[in-house]
Amino acid sequence: MKMKKIVSAALAMAMALSLAACGGQNNGGQSTTPPPSSNQGSNQSTPDPAPTGSGTADAITVWVYPVGGWGDEAKVKPLIDKFTSDTGIKVTMEWLAYADGDDKVNAALTGGNAPDVIMEGPERLVANWGVNGHMVDLSDMIDDTDRQEILPAALAAGTSTDGKVYLYPMFNVAHCMAVNYTAVKEAGAEANIDLETRTWTVEQFDATVKALYDKYGTTVAAVYCAGQGGDQGTRELIRNRYSTKLTNAEHTAYTWNTPEVINALTDLKNMPGIEFDASLQGGDEIAKFYQGVLKMAFCWNAAQQMDPNSAGTGEGKTLTGDEIVYMCFPTQEGKAPEEGSGVWGLGAFNTGDEARIAAAKEFIKYMCDSENCSQAGDISNFFSCRSMAEGVEIKSSNPLLVEYYSKMMPYMGEYYQITNGWAGARTEWWNMLQRVGAGDDIAETVAKYEANANAAASAAS
Amino acid sequence: MANSQPKMSRALQRRENVAGYLFMLPSLIFFIGFVVAPMIICIGYSFTDANMNSKTVATTFVGLKNFIDLWQDETFLLALKNTFLIVLVSVPAVCMFSLWVGSAIYHLKGPVLSAFRCIFYLPVVTGSVAVTVVWKWMYDNYTGILNYVLKGAGLIEQNINFLGDERFALWCIILILFTTSVGQPIVLYVSALGNVDTTLIEAAQVDGANDIQVFWKVKWPQMMPTTLYILVITTINSFQCFALIQLLTKGGAGTDTVMYRIYWTAFKLTEQAGHFGYANAMGVVLAIFIGILSAVQFKLAKEK
Repeated sequence: MKMKKIVSAALAMAMALSLAACGGQNNGGQSTTPPPSSNQGSNQSTPDPAPTGSGTADAITVWVYPVGGWGDEAKVKPLIDKFTSDTGIKVTMEWLAYADGDDKVNAALTGGNAPDVIMEGPERLVANWGVNGHMVDLSDMIDDTDRQEILPAALAAGTSTDGKVYLYPMFNVAHCMAVNYTAVKEAGAEANIDLETRTWTVEQFDATVKALYDKYGTTVAAVYCAGQGGDQGTRELIRNRYSTKLTNAEHTAYTWNTPEVINALTDLKNMPGIEFDASLQGGDEIAKFYQGVLKMAFCWNAAQQMDPNSAGTGEGKTLTGDEIVYMCFPTQEGKAPEEGSGVWGLGAFNTGDEARIAAAKEFIKYMCDSENCSQAGDISNFFSCRSMAEGVEIKSSNPLLVEYYSKMMPYMGEYYQITNGWAGARTEWWNMLQRVGAGDDIAETVAKYEANANAAASAAS
Repeated sequence: MANSQPKMSRALQRRENVAGYLFMLPSLIFFIGFVVAPMIICIGYSFTDANMNSKTVATTFVGLKNFIDLWQDETFLLALKNTFLIVLVSVPAVCMFSLWVGSAIYHLKGPVLSAFRCIFYLPVVTGSVAVTVVWKWMYDNYTGILNYVLKGAGLIEQNINFLGDERFALWCIILILFTTSVGQPIVLYVSALGNVDTTLIEAAQVDGANDIQVFWKVKWPQMMPTTLYILVITTINSFQCFALIQLLTKGGAGTDTVMYRIYWTAFKLTEQAGHFGYANAMGVVLAIFIGILSAVQFKLAKEK
């Protein structure tokens, strides 16, 4: 019986201790917080405890969404190692996926375990986490010289309506579309593709779709709507068709219930070769395009052109070696295209620990406002948001990127993804496309989902 | 001596009670920490406008507002309808199919029986993500094997968008759920059928009962506890269908379920005021429905 009691007590203690261990540390932001989970993509280094109070912490955590080449750990690691070598600050990197990255960040914020630095776009850093008080205002890092050197549109996108900078712009790109040029030539429609300007009219686009459909008899392109992934492609395709805006100028309301959007949706719905596909998201569409199944992709940009489907099989080629040509979204004759605006940068979460915030700012300065900007931009396969940094000219050395920049960037539209209630509005957008694809009345559907989006904007906390 | 015996028994009883509670303690800690406490917190939050951006734990009590809003929320009602459809189709299908398979294979010899058990149990032990990815390939709108076979057989002319067409998507998910759910019930039924008292069967046969009468009058009543367990577990699993939706359709093409809506509201629509409270209210409603249905199943089985 005595042995039984001892065993019972030992078991109870062991389990209680393991429970305590499971609970983790709740530092309340007062000292270094280890990453809340070691997910895939996380490297194995663990930061040493950082000093609290004044000064700069000697370890930070950085979470990165897979923005262009920054999703590739092997490409990013040398720059991070260089930062650690130069500053003595150890960095624990964690790569998030778009599929569940928001869940991880939101869970971390709720649990008080937010990382020190995060890389993504203004729609998250400014419109969501920034305006809700989770981010540090980086205004003090941007002086008059910086304001002259940083692309004004990018800086504006990183700034909230009350003038606080929650995102230090790092790089940007114009989202465009792509066509399988080899297939287009086989279909005898290459006259519609202007390789010099990369622009085309709706008429030329429609003729190309028809030629490809007649040639192959299968879906040419998909208006993908399984989720929000890559939804900028469908937005830009639809709004460019009759040149309209989806939000008001103040970015406070959604304005897509217009004849232009309804007509564009009607055209696309009735076009043989175009399928409203509720089984694909942007990433799936890129994969199908890369495999040669689809002949056009609406979710495209410079990084995809550099490394289609992130497959490492060469610039501008499909899996089967077909030539990929990037193009602007088609517009009516005489109208200039407006490509989707992509801006990304770094932001610092307000962990409540001044030392960690200082270290986070040092990291941001190193990547966004130093001679390392060029390297950071090259990793991304996008374009640096600034022309100069600390007296050093920032420019890409890759010929494809230089060409892309000259042809596409003049058409980059405004960054409207910071409109209130953006997360809810995105959900309404792809749900709307699904309903249109299912055959619902287009005008009624557009009106209903725009109203839902505006309700989301009003309900944004 | 006669008086000391009861005292010894009480002491012994006390010691055994203490030992019993101590053995129970670790599980109790986990149960309270990870089941009871979250449940209470969930119920509490369902009456508030809690959201991710609250600076403090304190939230505003909104009474039954979240629950009232739910019944006016078209999206939630659609998700609830889909959830019930999944339950109403998959639970009877799983139970009947597993009973049929169990009846057909339980009398087979050892290795053959084991082979059948393995085949049916394989989807259960295989990771749900792996299973789902394979199904996704098969259902693919452009290169899926199902479309390839159906077209090859001349049954269809155009590919079917199994996961993108609302006429098919939910049924495709129910089919996957079915294949991943039947393994355990089959194993349980095989075991239950093997434990049926053979003397009763022989007695019934001597009295002139045919096979069907033997099954329903003798075997079936003895398998009732197993059936009840299978019903309850399958019902709960069907109500909580989440991974398949998350991995295949993201709730689109008419496949939204309450579990997925809870996740989406709690973790995706974080800009919306009171999204945590609203998601918790959905969770409470779902728990109530699961509780009611389970109680009905218990009640009916008891009457049987």
